[in-house]
Amino acid sequence: MADVAGAVEPRVALGAGSVRHTANAVGWAAFLGVVALALFGPLAILVGFSLNDSSILAFPFEGLTLEWYRQALADPTLREALANSLGVALVVAPLSVILGTLAAFGLTRFRFRGRGMVGALVGAPLVLPWLIIGIAALMGYARVDLDLTLRTVVATQTICTFPLVTAIVSAQLFRFQRVQEEAAIDLGCSRLQVLRHVILPHIGPALGAAAIFAFTWSFNNYEISLFTIGFQQTFPIWVYSSVRNPDHTAVVNAVSTLISAFQVVTIWLAIRLLRSRGGGALSIVGDRAVAAGTVAEGSGVPAPVGAPR
Amino acid sequence: MAAITTSADLERPKRERFRGARRRGGALGILLSPVGLLVVLFVLPMLIMVQMSFVEFPPNTDSGYTLDHYREVLTNDLNLKIAWRTVMIASISMAIMLAIALPLSYFMAFKAGRWELVLLLGLVLADELAPVVKVYAWQVILGRNGILNWLIPGEPIEWLLYSRFAVIVTLSTTYITYTTIPIYAAMKAIEPSMFEAAVDLGAGWWQQARKILLPLAAPGIFIAMILVYIPMLTDFVTSDIVGGTSSVMMGQRVRDLILQGGDWGAGSALNFLMLAASGILALVAYRLAKLNRIDA
Repeated sequence: MADVAGAVEPRVALGAGSVRHTANAVGWAAFLGVVALALFGPLAILVGFSLNDSSILAFPFEGLTLEWYRQALADPTLREALANSLGVALVVAPLSVILGTLAAFGLTRFRFRGRGMVGALVGAPLVLPWLIIGIAALMGYARVDLDLTLRTVVATQTICTFPLVTAIVSAQLFRFQRVQEEAAIDLGCSRLQVLRHVILPHIGPALGAAAIFAFTWSFNNYEISLFTIGFQQTFPIWVYSSVRNPDHTAVVNAVSTLISAFQVVTIWLAIRLLRSRGGGALSIVGDRAVAAGTVAEGSGVPAPVGAPR
Repeated sequence: MAAITTSADLERPKRERFRGARRRGGALGILLSPVGLLVVLFVLPMLIMVQMSFVEFPPNTDSGYTLDHYREVLTNDLNLKIAWRTVMIASISMAIMLAIALPLSYFMAFKAGRWELVLLLGLVLADELAPVVKVYAWQVILGRNGILNWLIPGEPIEWLLYSRFAVIVTLSTTYITYTTIPIYAAMKAIEPSMFEAAVDLGAGWWQQARKILLPLAAPGIFIAMILVYIPMLTDFVTSDIVGGTSSVMMGQRVRDLILQGGDWGAGSALNFLMLAASGILALVAYRLAKLNRIDA
């Protein structure tokens, strides 16, 4: 109520207004600080413990050591898990980029009967929980007597990851006037030339970003790997089994720090690539639902950040 | 001269060829491999899972069909208890996330200026880091010797970790990005001059929020809620790593039935029920998104 009374004569008490303004700014800063702390604080503390000279996770810190990094890099089970994750992600990412780009072209550049159905089908793995997809995959592989190996992990991860690529690339294709393609054809370009000189320069950065995100999704995936893997371990599965072992936690901290640092750099790079073509695509990466909407019907693409309203 | 006439001659048929292909076989050829793989690796396994939920002794499909698994699953007291608890935990986490996401999206859409993009980058980055590592990091904070117990004087508080509290805290930070972005997108579409008009007419911040911001952002808010409920209701990583016996959730129950109990009948029945619930929620959200688009 006080606010309403103040707003009736807002310009009279200028001094009071600027005090309120400062108070507002401080309030917002505090709020954002708390949110940032909740999102990144736990990881920061993990980094701290990875350098802490004690195998027990207890405050205060007891001194600096690189011992846990040495142990992490020497652990054969961990090295194998990392190699498995890396191998899987290095196959899943390019496969996803190819399949995802094909689906994006098919869904945005063609009108045909059943387009809505196909869009919903491609968008579905983005919205449905990985737990359910993983269990279904496990039963499917068992039904056809297929042994669970890293290959089954790759197969199921790929069909859950390429729709993300479709969403990212579709968003670029939507924003891109088809007129430009037609103009190039009118000027005598062949379809290959259109692809090379008109379309690829436009979606190139998005393809790079999509590859990085697909790699990250695959590398981080726990749910699908758990149900479709045989005797091997991937990195998330290794972390999962190690955090239950109290002797192991310092090593988990060290390797998690290394992986997170690597991911911060690569994801940052991917975000930069997307940003260079407008921020709308960012929302797609940050929200599977927005991505699914983009795939299904080209809806849910929010206004590019910073664009005039 | 000759070259020019040639290219002019070529122009028309080429363009028609291009368009013709677009209309006829083009879509089929391009979509064949992605859609084919989805059918084989996504749709078929789902159908097999549904089949298993009706088979008497899965995975032996010759053993006859029955509804027993569904009857068993739906009358089992433990399942009902876990389902109720899962919904409660998810709802409390959702309330906390909305309390954070609403002001955060408002700030991003109207107040942030050049910080808008930075905040969006931060949210996406937070979302893309390894989930298992992020959940584990909360162990370090909430544990018996963790930073919270170190900061709070007196005897260590035991219920901070391996409890429902820990699950709720961790869940409500996990899905912040998913909650914020649809709401932010909806708010971004609101004309800021509406707030100026409201201020000129004497409205305070609460009236502005209640009469302008919330009604116009409502579709985005509903979409965010529905689409974050889906992964939260099936989450099992969080409750596994930071939860205890008092916080066992539906996702853990299904995982244990399948991987530890080997009970494919009950497991696939529960899984199918969760799939149906997720599918219905997703459709509702999708319809909302469409309505929203027509309004705008």
